[in-house]
Amino acid sequence: MSAILKAPLTVEFPFTRSLGPIQSAFLTGLRERVILGVRTGDGRTLVPPVEYDPVTAEEIRELVEVAPTGTVTTWAWNHAPRRGQPLATPFAWVLVKLDGADTGLLHALDASGPDAVRTGMRVRVRWAEERSGAITDIACFEPYGGEAAEAEPEGHSGEFDDPITGIVAPARLDYTYSPGRAQTGYINALVERRAVGERCPACRKVYVPPRGACPTCGVATAEQVEVGPGGTVTTFCIVNIKAAHTANLDIEVPYVYGHIALDGADLALHGRIAGIPYDQVRMGLRVEPVWTEGARYPDHYRPTGEPDAEYDTFKELT
Amino acid sequence: MNREIAVVAFAQTDHRSTSEELSEVEMLMPVLHEVLDGTGLKTSDIDFTCSGSSDYLAGRAFSFTLALDGVGAWPPISESHVEMDGAWALYEAWVKLQTGDADTALVYAYGKSSPGSVRDVLTRQLDPYYLAPLWPDSVALAALQAQALIDAGRTDEPALAAVGARSRTAAADNSHAQLRGSVPQGEYLVRPLRTGDCPPIGDGAAAVVLAAGERARELCARPAWIRGIDHRIEAHGIGVRDLTDSPSTRLAAERAGVFERPVDTAELHAPFSSQEVILREVLRLDDGVDVNPSGGALAANPVMAAGLIRIGEAAARIHRGESDRALAHATSGPCLQQNLVAVLEGDPR
Repeated sequence: MSAILKAPLTVEFPFTRSLGPIQSAFLTGLRERVILGVRTGDGRTLVPPVEYDPVTAEEIRELVEVAPTGTVTTWAWNHAPRRGQPLATPFAWVLVKLDGADTGLLHALDASGPDAVRTGMRVRVRWAEERSGAITDIACFEPYGGEAAEAEPEGHSGEFDDPITGIVAPARLDYTYSPGRAQTGYINALVERRAVGERCPACRKVYVPPRGACPTCGVATAEQVEVGPGGTVTTFCIVNIKAAHTANLDIEVPYVYGHIALDGADLALHGRIAGIPYDQVRMGLRVEPVWTEGARYPDHYRPTGEPDAEYDTFKELT
Repeated sequence: MNREIAVVAFAQTDHRSTSEELSEVEMLMPVLHEVLDGTGLKTSDIDFTCSGSSDYLAGRAFSFTLALDGVGAWPPISESHVEMDGAWALYEAWVKLQTGDADTALVYAYGKSSPGSVRDVLTRQLDPYYLAPLWPDSVALAALQAQALIDAGRTDEPALAAVGARSRTAAADNSHAQLRGSVPQGEYLVRPLRTGDCPPIGDGAAAVVLAAGERARELCARPAWIRGIDHRIEAHGIGVRDLTDSPSTRLAAERAGVFERPVDTAELHAPFSSQEVILREVLRLDDGVDVNPSGGALAANPVMAAGLIRIGEAAARIHRGESDRALAHATSGPCLQQNLVAVLEGDPR
């Protein structure tokens, strides 16, 4: 068996999220160095605040300012901070019950070591220098000697000029992708400019690219079958809008994208069809792959000049 | 009006730290074949299929539709998917059978954590406004819960280490498990949790077949009847909860009928040693109950499948005549956020 293929894969996306009225007030408050909670029907103050009572599901809207000081209710020492976490140096994760609140806020505590942290210790907010209306406007907590609040909260109304209405939350996850046995065989063959599918042992259909299983029979496909290089256009469309994707910037519109049944395959794959005016592409057109120097897959397919295939020969593949 | 529904077959992969030579469907398919072979059923005999998985684990978009290739889903089958542990897929299948629309169901789950960093991947399931931007990883959140338990005087680090050691000793008899026998307790991962308090990271899959009434008796010599099943969830704000308690597990257990009669076996889905401490108390399991004879999630924790495996392991013990009344528990989310409890029974011998 050939060596296992692997490649780095980064999945990265910014989520744009709208905020409800309570979330908006809380996050806008952080921007202004004000911490707001929300009062429940039974008189508890939730920080961070939510839109609905977690016990009764009642809509809750009464905002209450709480202090930037509080007490650690539990903690965990993180000696190896990970990407995206609040501090790059070792820190304690903490739940902090802020003075005036009845629930815990999760954040980081900047402390010299685990021996400097205990449940019940007093901490205060360290504000980020640049604040935008996000939970990260709190840079972290830091140890604090005072017993009571430094200054009584001023009873902020929760009304702000220019409240934020949404956040953009970037997310990035890194993977080492490996395609599995069947696709590894397919990719290795492409290096030699060959197309290799796999045949189902039950229904005898040949799948290209192979996925390792026959979706009709639910059994493993194992027998490799070389297909193509020629094939038949089974259906197509004319693309009139230039793709934003950087890989396609060089391709002028209109162009044709089609399904191509390679000779010997029972499933059509798709690719761009060129070397022929776009309005002359047709079902049944015989095509072959065109490779460019150093490419890992065909750049496009072009007409072979053979007579068109009869519809009956590919109608099951459209 | 409740129909009698049983787990009639169970299969799982060997759970290993990597399965890089296999795609997800290639990893899953042998388990599907094994579980169907156990009943003599073919795909076309199955009335309803339901799966649990998450594309985020391996970073492969629409992996759950690709996994359906391994079922043989053409011509179209009646099928559903949950982005949760397969235990919740089993719950959906159980409801489907209760409606009378189906007599048999195939339930499967798989997780391939090895391509990514599962500690970070799981942060993406958290509250996107207040938690996810801080990237609190799964071990960190479990460690906060463990420290709260220690502060409450309910456990200590040696007791936690004993939970892990007992789990892996039990797993010595389980060839599917990833960590078996003596495993060092190791260094702190996030204090107070050491590597030994945390589940192994790995890849695996599992499947069960459910059947109703007489169909179950035809397919299995001793069906594992689901006498009760229920799932409940905590408030989603971590700081709102009492992390040393699990009221959702308690309520689910009550509704599933756990406390009506003693169980002899309990398969608990406690990925962290501290969570087993909480679950044992909430579920009132005394020393007479065989807890996690499979080794549990501390011995093998294929994410999205580990909860379904608890139900499968409990059922398999009933199939083999090693248990008459077993509890199975599955969890999802941070710090035992959501919990499912099932009671399984065998016919009197």
